Amino acid sequence: MLSMKNINKVYQTEKVQTHALRDFDLEVSEGEFIAVTGPSGSGKTTFLNIAGMLESYSSGDYLLDDINVGKLSDNAKADLRNQKIGFIFQGFNLIPDLNLYENVEVPLRYRGIKSAQRKQRIMDCLEQVGLASRAKHLPQQLSGGQQQRVAIARALAGKPRFLLADEPTGNLDSLMARQVMDLLEQINRDGATIIMVTHDPELARRAPRNIQVVDGQLADFTLYQGAPDMHVSSHAAAQV
Amino acid sequence: MFFYYIDLAWRSFKRTPFVSMLMVLAIAVGIGITMTSLSVYYMMAMNPIPDKSDRLHVVQLNTMDEGQSQGSSDNLPQQLTYRDAMALYQQDFPENKVIHMRSGFAVHLGDSSIKPFLEATRMAGRDFFSMFNLEFQYGGAWSVEQEQNAAQVAVISQSLNEKLFGSENSLGKTFYLDDKVFQVVGVLDEWNLHTRFYDITTGAFSRTENIFIPFSLVPVLEVPSWGNTNGWKYQEINNYQDRLNAEIFWVQLWVELPNEQAKAQYGQFLQAYLSEQEALGRFERETPQYALRNVMEWLDYSNVVSDDNRVLVGLSFMFLIVCLANILGLLLGKFLKRAPEIGVRRALGARKRQVFAQHIVEVSLLGLFGGLLGIGIAQLGLWGVRATENYYSALATMDLSMLLAAPSISIIACIIAGLYPAWLVCKTAPAIYLKTQ
Repeated sequence: MLSMKNINKVYQTEKVQTHALRDFDLEVSEGEFIAVTGPSGSGKTTFLNIAGMLESYSSGDYLLDDINVGKLSDNAKADLRNQKIGFIFQGFNLIPDLNLYENVEVPLRYRGIKSAQRKQRIMDCLEQVGLASRAKHLPQQLSGGQQQRVAIARALAGKPRFLLADEPTGNLDSLMARQVMDLLEQINRDGATIIMVTHDPELARRAPRNIQVVDGQLADFTLYQGAPDMHVSSHAAAQV
Repeated sequence: MFFYYIDLAWRSFKRTPFVSMLMVLAIAVGIGITMTSLSVYYMMAMNPIPDKSDRLHVVQLNTMDEGQSQGSSDNLPQQLTYRDAMALYQQDFPENKVIHMRSGFAVHLGDSSIKPFLEATRMAGRDFFSMFNLEFQYGGAWSVEQEQNAAQVAVISQSLNEKLFGSENSLGKTFYLDDKVFQVVGVLDEWNLHTRFYDITTGAFSRTENIFIPFSLVPVLEVPSWGNTNGWKYQEINNYQDRLNAEIFWVQLWVELPNEQAKAQYGQFLQAYLSEQEALGRFERETPQYALRNVMEWLDYSNVVSDDNRVLVGLSFMFLIVCLANILGLLLGKFLKRAPEIGVRRALGARKRQVFAQHIVEVSLLGLFGGLLGIGIAQLGLWGVRATENYYSALATMDLSMLLAAPSISIIACIIAGLYPAWLVCKTAPAIYLKTQ
């Protein structure tokens, strides 16, 4: 489903070259739930941004559903993002002027879905995260955990096959973090592929597959028996 | 998506009401001032008789010695001598023509019911009304016989009819011009002529006359001219007959020439007429010189819209640009502050074009509000111009096209000011803001 080969990302300033990702290889299959861990500044978010086509990469090959992302125009990337990918952010990133219903509606608006269909889909998603009764509330009227659930509902609205979550529980207390994690597991069981960046080892352990990013390179290992196939980059394998 | 963008724009206004009002006010002031000067300019430059402006021509003849000038760009006098005007008016060709000049009298009813007052009067041929599209409330123009016989008949305006006879049908009623009794044969409908093209010499933007009497009365009553009289050589003028025969310019002649062929034909006639007059020893010229200008050419030739007016419009547009520069700065601040939200929208599938469109709709809405408020400010400005009762008072109005132009100019101006901020915000890399929000 997702295939990255020799992905490099270099940030260039006048005097300094920073390698955020180096020869990054990763294969992700349909239905996987992957936790990405690693120290701060190791390149986790850069990887997630590249996976979500929010950032370009300097070299390498990235295929999403066999589509070569490197050859896509900006508009095509936006469309692909809208159709295939859902984002969940640490800071929730809800739009403060819009109520919950309107926040969840955003990706559907850009997909051009008709009003009646949109309404049904939004209410289903809010129902799924247990917030249908608060559809008219503004984000700031909710707790952090509830806001993250709205963000998950928004990510699910477009029925994406691929969820990218960047520290989804980073701003939540442990109880709320567990609730959000329960929700993500449920979504994964329903068929979505999830890549989640986290600092929390407990949450990472709940993911069937863990990968670690260190200095922009990948270490890949599996915690559970019966998890999907291991994919170990050559560089990381050498380190292990 | 358009209505979605409108909704987002409205929310944006509500989110930052002070900045939004400041921008609306800035554009409104700019538009108000621009539309005030533009409306006056537009009314001045507007075609006063669009359905026949290309057919109506003013006749100019150079009946001066070579080297003499009347200060015009081609040295031609703006008016004709009485003898030339009459000679051309008495020709059969062209069919429609009008001779006229401006005079004035003391108007009264011969009793004490109305205090006598001075009133400008147009001495004119009977075709004046049909050629210049005047319509009648009662009656009509005087007859050919009345004109030939120099009958003391008059056509009066609606407002004068109201003043003298209380708006009733006054046909057949009489009133006095100085000590002469005149009978009313026609009462005009309202005549709103913003540019008095038929007689620029006495003020292109002066009001039209309220009294019209046959031109044939000029020699009979020896009426004084209330217009310009220009000469070019010394002549003894001891009585009115001397004045009629003198080489002085004080009468105007308009002809209706339906096409270029008729114009060329009449031009040839004028050339022959001038040669004939030169042969009589009236003046000495190397070549005969005449001009036939249609209405718009005549207004342009007479500098009805002066360079000052153009400069004023230019300055007001520059002021609008200054207002726009301020709006641009405010928009930059406002839009860039919203970059994190745009990052989210881009992550959720918004194309750059959609983000751009969202912001352009917002600035257009801003322009619309500014334009509407600007109309109010322009009305205040025009009211101020009218209140000065100066030369332009009658022109200080906004017609429908100017009312529609105000919001259109405002929207276009705001879109121009918003292009850069909208482009800047839509090209912002979304990833930067998603982590830092």
